[in-house]
Amino acid sequence: MAKLSKEEVLKLAYLARLDLTEFEVEEFRTELSNILTYVEQLKNVDTDQLSPTNQVTGLTNVMRDDKLIDYGYQPKKLLENVPFVKDEQIKVKRMVG
Amino acid sequence: MMSNNLEFTPTIGIECHVQLNTQTKLFSGASNDARFAEPNTLVNHIDFGLPGALPVFNREALNLAIKAALALKTRPQLFSTFDRKHYFYPDLPMGYQITQYDQPIIIGGKVDFKLEGKNFTVRITRAHLEADAGKSMHPAGKDYSLVDLNRAGTPLLEIVSEPDMHSAKEAKAYAQELYLLMRYAGVTAGDLYHGNMRFDVNVSVSNNRHLGVRSETKNLNSFRSVEKAVNYEIKRQIDLIKSGKIVVQETRGWDEAKQKTLLQRRKENADDYRYMPDPDLPPLVIDDKYVNAIADNMPYSPDFWRAKLKKLHLSDDHIDVLINANIDFMHAKYLELIMEFDEQGLNATRLANWLVNIDIPLTKENKTKIGSNRNRLYKEVNDLNSKGTLSSTNLKQLITVCLSMVEPPKDIAVFAEKEGLIQSSDSTELNKIIEEVIRHNPKAVSDVRSGEQKAIGYLIGQVMQLSKGQANPELSKRIIEEKLK
Repeated sequence: MAKLSKEEVLKLAYLARLDLTEFEVEEFRTELSNILTYVEQLKNVDTDQLSPTNQVTGLTNVMRDDKLIDYGYQPKKLLENVPFVKDEQIKVKRMVG
Repeated sequence: MMSNNLEFTPTIGIECHVQLNTQTKLFSGASNDARFAEPNTLVNHIDFGLPGALPVFNREALNLAIKAALALKTRPQLFSTFDRKHYFYPDLPMGYQITQYDQPIIIGGKVDFKLEGKNFTVRITRAHLEADAGKSMHPAGKDYSLVDLNRAGTPLLEIVSEPDMHSAKEAKAYAQELYLLMRYAGVTAGDLYHGNMRFDVNVSVSNNRHLGVRSETKNLNSFRSVEKAVNYEIKRQIDLIKSGKIVVQETRGWDEAKQKTLLQRRKENADDYRYMPDPDLPPLVIDDKYVNAIADNMPYSPDFWRAKLKKLHLSDDHIDVLINANIDFMHAKYLELIMEFDEQGLNATRLANWLVNIDIPLTKENKTKIGSNRNRLYKEVNDLNSKGTLSSTNLKQLITVCLSMVEPPKDIAVFAEKEGLIQSSDSTELNKIIEEVIRHNPKAVSDVRSGEQKAIGYLIGQVMQLSKGQANPELSKRIIEEKLK
């Protein structure tokens, strides 16, 4: 398949929140195209008679009852992994103006 | 506003996020009631999206979704799956939302409602289960936001309507009926103030046969704001088109203070979410037997009750009051009380009128303290009333006083006597009034004598008027009949 355009690579990078250099953009134009070409082989398989596979485990209805669960630690413990905490809340870059 | 805009047809579709009435979250065992909790106390590794955490589906969310399907006059899908919807936002720790994309739990259904005497039907496109995101705060004047994940993972059912509405009033009526349906089915606690039901309205206008470009106004949490936001958008879009500009597909928010919608962001394409099946969550597979077991235990619907009340010859307005009061004040069990009266051959219509005119207004003003004893109160009042010794003013007084007590008096007849609310049947005052009414209404009197029952109602009305509501209608009727024999 034809090489991905610069815009397509930049859009994918934006969706993944990746900051690419000019050089990387060029690199990925080729690399991503190669990957897509490789995956495109799947199009040759006849799937008309098959239903989509959502899961490979064969499991269904894995459910729990609607009851409180004690996971064995204080919720506070989770905040220890958070880079910035203020007033027991997760401090992040301002989201709105 | 509409007079010069008649050539434009508005088209409206509504998405509603209904918070399910579960004890725990959709995929974790943390409490689902974040209303009064300290930030980040109802959380665990699943809600925080820590690597390796395994979400496990809450069975009650399935049961409530099935109830929602039945309330929407359809059946749930017997096979449905979960998908990941990817986007980055600080209130979404996993980087994706777990939702249902192409195989949701509900496909189809409808909401019927009445508006200004006309019947409307809005079709339901679909409804899917999904986990809510966290809550963010934006302290004034700071360069940061704060995120509380208590709400992350709260079970939601997103109900998507077809674009079947064409005015702000219809949009509001649809939202109200959907609310009643979900409340009566027990799907949600329906606390609008705490965002238990949030509406997104999609509005477009067109002056030809093609649909116009739509805007979406998100997160409306009252029926009034649904109506106002739709009206605002209709006008904004018509003004744009009339001044030669175009409507752009975008997401807007409702500013209650400014009473207008404001631009939030231009719409992303659906493809940008990169949906994929969630490998952690196996499909839900149910059968008709499972659905039927829930259907057999469905609470009565608003329409069931409306039909019941209609049979009691209540006005549409009174029916509306009762239907709403029944869920606003669930402990009062107004509708059950009426049904019980009816089943026992008591005058249920009269009880309904007492509830609408006396009980519900007082309860709305927080002036009733009575617990589960309404039943006994109204039965005893009804007995007392049929003896004809209570004037209508005194009846109201008696009910008002009793409702304000936690425990009504042991013997209400004795209590009424003590309070001086009982009227003796040989009341000379009442006799005088009735004689006067008979004297002044010869036409009605002769009508009664020739067997016309309606005329006696007229005479009683005159007695009520002359006594300024003090007379007891039952007693008056007996005395009038006696005198005209």
